[in-house]
Amino acid sequence: MEFFIQILIAAVGMGTPLLFATLGGVISERAGVINLGMEGLMLVGALVAFVVMLNTGNYFYAVASAAIISGMVSMIHGVVCLMLRANQIASGLALTFFGTGLSGFFGDKLTGETVEPLIRIPIPVLNAIPVLGPVLFNQDLLVYFSYVCVVLLWWMLFKTRLGLNIRSMGEAPEVCDSLGLSVLGYRFFAVVGGGMFVGIGGAYFPLALTPFWVDGITAGRGWIAVALVIFAFWNPIKALGGAYLFGIALALELRLQILGVEISPYFLKMLPYVLTILVLTLVTIRHNRLGIQVMPAALGNVFFRGEKH
Amino acid sequence: MQIFLEKRFNTSSWGRILVLGVAFLLVLFISWLFFLIAGIEPMTAFQIVGEEIFLTKYGWQDLLVKMTPLMFTGLAVALAAQMRQWNIGAEGQFHMGTFAMTWIALHLDGKLPYGVLIVLMLIMAMVGGGLWGSIPGFLKARFGVNEIITSLLLNYVAVAWIDHLLFGPWRDPGTNNFPITKEFSEAAQLPSFGNTTIHAGLILAFFVVVIISWFLWKTRLGFQIRLTGDNPDASRYAGVNIRTLTILIFAVSGAIAGLAGFSEVAGIHYRLQQNISIGYGYTGIIVAWLAKNHPLGVVLSAFFMSIVFVSAEVLQIEYGLPISVVFLYQGIILFTILGSDIFTEYRLRITGNWLSQRHSKTGN
Repeated sequence: MEFFIQILIAAVGMGTPLLFATLGGVISERAGVINLGMEGLMLVGALVAFVVMLNTGNYFYAVASAAIISGMVSMIHGVVCLMLRANQIASGLALTFFGTGLSGFFGDKLTGETVEPLIRIPIPVLNAIPVLGPVLFNQDLLVYFSYVCVVLLWWMLFKTRLGLNIRSMGEAPEVCDSLGLSVLGYRFFAVVGGGMFVGIGGAYFPLALTPFWVDGITAGRGWIAVALVIFAFWNPIKALGGAYLFGIALALELRLQILGVEISPYFLKMLPYVLTILVLTLVTIRHNRLGIQVMPAALGNVFFRGEKH
Repeated sequence: MQIFLEKRFNTSSWGRILVLGVAFLLVLFISWLFFLIAGIEPMTAFQIVGEEIFLTKYGWQDLLVKMTPLMFTGLAVALAAQMRQWNIGAEGQFHMGTFAMTWIALHLDGKLPYGVLIVLMLIMAMVGGGLWGSIPGFLKARFGVNEIITSLLLNYVAVAWIDHLLFGPWRDPGTNNFPITKEFSEAAQLPSFGNTTIHAGLILAFFVVVIISWFLWKTRLGFQIRLTGDNPDASRYAGVNIRTLTILIFAVSGAIAGLAGFSEVAGIHYRLQQNISIGYGYTGIIVAWLAKNHPLGVVLSAFFMSIVFVSAEVLQIEYGLPISVVFLYQGIILFTILGSDIFTEYRLRITGNWLSQRHSKTGN
């Protein structure tokens, strides 16, 4: 039981960067823009957070600057695929290249530097609930912030005018356009806002998970988040469940190694990626069988007034 | 007066050349910025890079050596893209190619005469890459699973598999515990030209370019692939079996990416070790995009991206810059090309006058 709870506690930690990144992807894709640059954006967020943390020692500055810089970098994606009407998939891949290169270039001299990781702050009363207490309410501030984000984003997307407009951009941009809403404006807003969340997800790596700098610190988690967006049915609440499920796989990888289980560590390393492929396949099969259309209908379409796509 | 973008009927080829020129200038400009940030005198750096690459024998040699795997991976991505399929997994297929060929080399080295072993290794590399590539192809064809995500995630699995072998069963005990296999004998090495490092892999790459061009434009299957890429509905009505074709295209694409692994291992390293691919599989995506997925264009764009790789290498040696600047440049190049494509597909039109403005709203 103790081991089980330990796994779950670690799973929430490992799942948090995935959760932030998935939330970012949900916002962007709800507005109709695919962002395959999440891996690159996470790396940018991680680098910025680490550098700011190293120089100021302030967690708030580190997270805020990671969000702002990631938002700025995702503006490139916004400009290229919205204003210049380029292919969103290719533009997202370019963003991943760019972010990987940026973090490699500026992170080169940081290898081996360390920062003080975030401490766990138990929430008084909730913390006493059996199992759930230690797992969910004895975490660091960024984890608590992620809970708030999930609820706020869900409320924003499904209960407000702004959210309705954003979702409409992903379903029927022509209709929005004829109603006088700025398609490019909303989509740009969603891409940049989404990018900021992805950046915060990246920031979680050096601030909490691995408090030292290694090249390629996110190790492909950005791509798992791309799959999680689909897995979560483009819904912030479901993103929470999906992220923690993968958090468990990642936590198992670590714990089994510590326990000295006789499996090659490289097989454990494969586990989350193989699991992602399996889950994605099952989810796709389920979508097909139910015949439901949850994917935003205009996802990936270039919008240009007067041209049909 | 009204300013709007009008779609061109044909993409302008002059525009395309101009765009490439602008992309090149932008890369130079951004490099200049980064040199300043890194505390390097930009003009000196440009001069050193230019001289090292184009004015020395080693520079040219290196260009051709780096171009070889990029031609293979670029072709792999371009072939799948002809059918509008994204194969982002060339990196993993590359690694599985090296796995399969090394397996046969470790088992049969010394037991077979020269020609036989190398051909077997070549076939194994194609089988390894091809099978690995057909996984996302199968998942896409059978269940409609997004091939971008699956092919990409398999890259991480393939690299972990190679690491497992190198740190485990395949590690050569004679080499101080370095994660490398033992060196292949000459029977498992591709011949080089004279005393250069340019090897027969380059010829093989050109050969594959010719084969793929022939396949796409002169065979029935190639026609079906291009038709499906242009118009899947028309292709379905014409009786093309799109599912089988999807699996096939991913398998062939993977086999070509596997050849990149074969050519690197049998042509340069003569053993399996870590980091044999410095992102060649990923760069294949840019090579294919630059070439507009045309096999012959791949030759030129592979050469162009090879310049980027060799420049990064020179910068690494001369100034100690990390090799990851390659990715930075690749991102910038792809963004520039993507962002400027609009000018080859649209033209800027300025029409009318202030008075007629209200009545000419239909144009945009």
